Amino acid sequence: MDRENEAVKPGRSKRGLLQQGESAIALIGVGLAAILLCAMGGAAWYAVHTQKEALREAQIQRAKAAGQLLASNAEIMLARGELSSLRKLVSDTARMHGLVCDLALPGDAILVSSEAGRTTVREMPAKWPEMAAVDKTALVDEASLNEDKLTLTYALQIPGQGMAKLQIDHQIEQPVGLVWEAQTGLGGIVAAALLALLLVYRHSRARLRAMGAIREALLAIEKGESTASALTVNESFGAEAEAWNQILAKTESMRKEMLQERAKESLGDRRKGGSSDLDNACDALPSGLLIVDTKMRPKYANGAAAALLQTERTKLMGSDLFQFIGNPEVSEMLASWTNEGSKRRVTLEASRGGDKETGILRWTIRPMRKDDSGAAMVTIEDITQQKIAEESRHQFVAHATHELRTPLTNIRLYIETALDEGEKDEALRAKCLNVINSESRRLDRLVNDMLSTAEIEAGSLQVHADDVRLKDVFTELATDYEMQAKEKNISLTFDLPPKLPVIQADNGMIVLALHNLVGNALKYTENGGTVTVVVHANENDITVDVMDTGFGIDEEDQVRVFDRFYRAQDKRLKGITGSGLGLALAREVVRMHGGDITVKSELNEGSTFTMTLPNEADAA
Amino acid sequence: MEVHEDKHGAVTVLRPDGPLVEDDVSMFCGKLTAVRQNTMGRLVLDLSETPFVDSKGLEALLDATEAMEDCGQSLRLCGVNETVREVLELTEISSFFEHYEDVNSAVRSFL
Repeated sequence: MDRENEAVKPGRSKRGLLQQGESAIALIGVGLAAILLCAMGGAAWYAVHTQKEALREAQIQRAKAAGQLLASNAEIMLARGELSSLRKLVSDTARMHGLVCDLALPGDAILVSSEAGRTTVREMPAKWPEMAAVDKTALVDEASLNEDKLTLTYALQIPGQGMAKLQIDHQIEQPVGLVWEAQTGLGGIVAAALLALLLVYRHSRARLRAMGAIREALLAIEKGESTASALTVNESFGAEAEAWNQILAKTESMRKEMLQERAKESLGDRRKGGSSDLDNACDALPSGLLIVDTKMRPKYANGAAAALLQTERTKLMGSDLFQFIGNPEVSEMLASWTNEGSKRRVTLEASRGGDKETGILRWTIRPMRKDDSGAAMVTIEDITQQKIAEESRHQFVAHATHELRTPLTNIRLYIETALDEGEKDEALRAKCLNVINSESRRLDRLVNDMLSTAEIEAGSLQVHADDVRLKDVFTELATDYEMQAKEKNISLTFDLPPKLPVIQADNGMIVLALHNLVGNALKYTENGGTVTVVVHANENDITVDVMDTGFGIDEEDQVRVFDRFYRAQDKRLKGITGSGLGLALAREVVRMHGGDITVKSELNEGSTFTMTLPNEADAA
Repeated sequence: MEVHEDKHGAVTVLRPDGPLVEDDVSMFCGKLTAVRQNTMGRLVLDLSETPFVDSKGLEALLDATEAMEDCGQSLRLCGVNETVREVLELTEISSFFEHYEDVNSAVRSFL
């Protein structure tokens, strides 16, 4: 779960992986640089070493060549007795090749030397000294190298004279200057390479960070992240980051455009499709339209016909129309029309599936003006809402007539009584006037209800907000219904908070709503019951609960109790008059104030109507 | 999101309570389709409790009105707030719906 969460948090994982990517790249870069530098150093060392060895070997070979030449010439020259020439040759050769040469006679007497003052024998000896036998065998040509000192020894056999020994010493010189130059050059190259590497790394670092961030964004896309804001990278990473963000912005904009296009096309395409203007016009009709042949098989059906018959247009075409009609009355009407000789227009209003709840359809069948074809046009209209409205209006007229007549009759009767007997009996006259007053107020409320309904229907009812003192409203309400409650022996109580606010509302509308709620509670509560009005006021709203112990409302009726002209189908309501407007009006006006009325009820237990109003006013 | 269903005579009023966004679109579409078929299009969509609609929500509304246009009807909207109205106008799909100020006017339009 946590891993998943991390996966969809690109910002967080982006940073971690970005750092990891950078350090890995840096490590690889440094490693490669180190290997490269080691390789370069090794190659340089090997090259210098090889060169040094080659120079040393060349010096040795040159000394050996000079020694060999000197030895062979010395034998000849000594045999001829050319001592002075030999001394010159030795001296020149030694100087030219940096050698120290000594030619020694047996007994170590030096006859010729390249170094001044080392010659011990000035003249060619008349008699060549004899060499001991041991020395003779020991005297051979040999070369020895002690560190940088080369010693070459040659055994000379001078014809007619005897043995002699030529010893050549050569100090091998180290090519210090050359090696130093090579090392300095290579060191410089390596340092320059290192510097260049660091500069390149530094330069590319910002780009590497941008690449790392972009890589993280791509991984997030792969995992299903599509929000542009989550995929955006920090633009301070460089031009690549800016370019990435631009691509994202363009993609987002294209996505929106595509949605827009799709929205346009989805409707546009349907209008295309090669159908004619007439087809399109028929499809735009809200009523179903069918053209049927003599056997009631549809030759044409518009979209609404298919929808009203709850099928698809393709299934409808050419098949038996009767199988799609759920009401036998309609099937019978269409069948008899088919069998009739004379074709005339026939209309039938019937429920869709034999049940009024599913809707009421008006079927009309009329002949087409083609005598030989026998085809007919069937139109189907959904008139459910009109029927319900019509029915409600009929009910309303019946209820309203009754409601108007009852107070009028009472007023007329009590006026007659007051006129006939009131002159003599003052108490009777007062009673009559009270009843007339009460009935006229009832009449007034009823007429107001009807007017308000008409205004709501016309959309012209307006809220005239003013200060409404709730305390006064409830006091008046209690006074108005006190008598009615007493007559039915109902305990009417008002549970009000000590301080009620003054709200901004339409006084008439609030009074109308409360009258309807309390009036209904008293009307639908049997003798001896209780009606309680509880008011709660807090900072935000005011709640009025009107609770009664009356008939209660069936669950099915609870949904429709706020419909205009609707009265619950409870048999106990038969003797109780009502317009069916009260609750609809009450809720309507309360909603116009931003509040609402809800109901909770249980059959035979009682009902609670809760009115909520926003407390938008200054506290009292 | 919860979708409240009220009956006004033969007209069903659907009132989604909350934003119409991707997570709720599937449930909303299912309810809308079922009500549309059962009521034969006598349907009003009350958006007074819908603060905003995202692209998926718009597609759902378009699909519904498209299906209804096949029957010569269109989806009737009411209580549309400024934000949703702006979205509908910016995407140029506002004209595919019928607009009403409140539920009563929308319901009366079926008479």
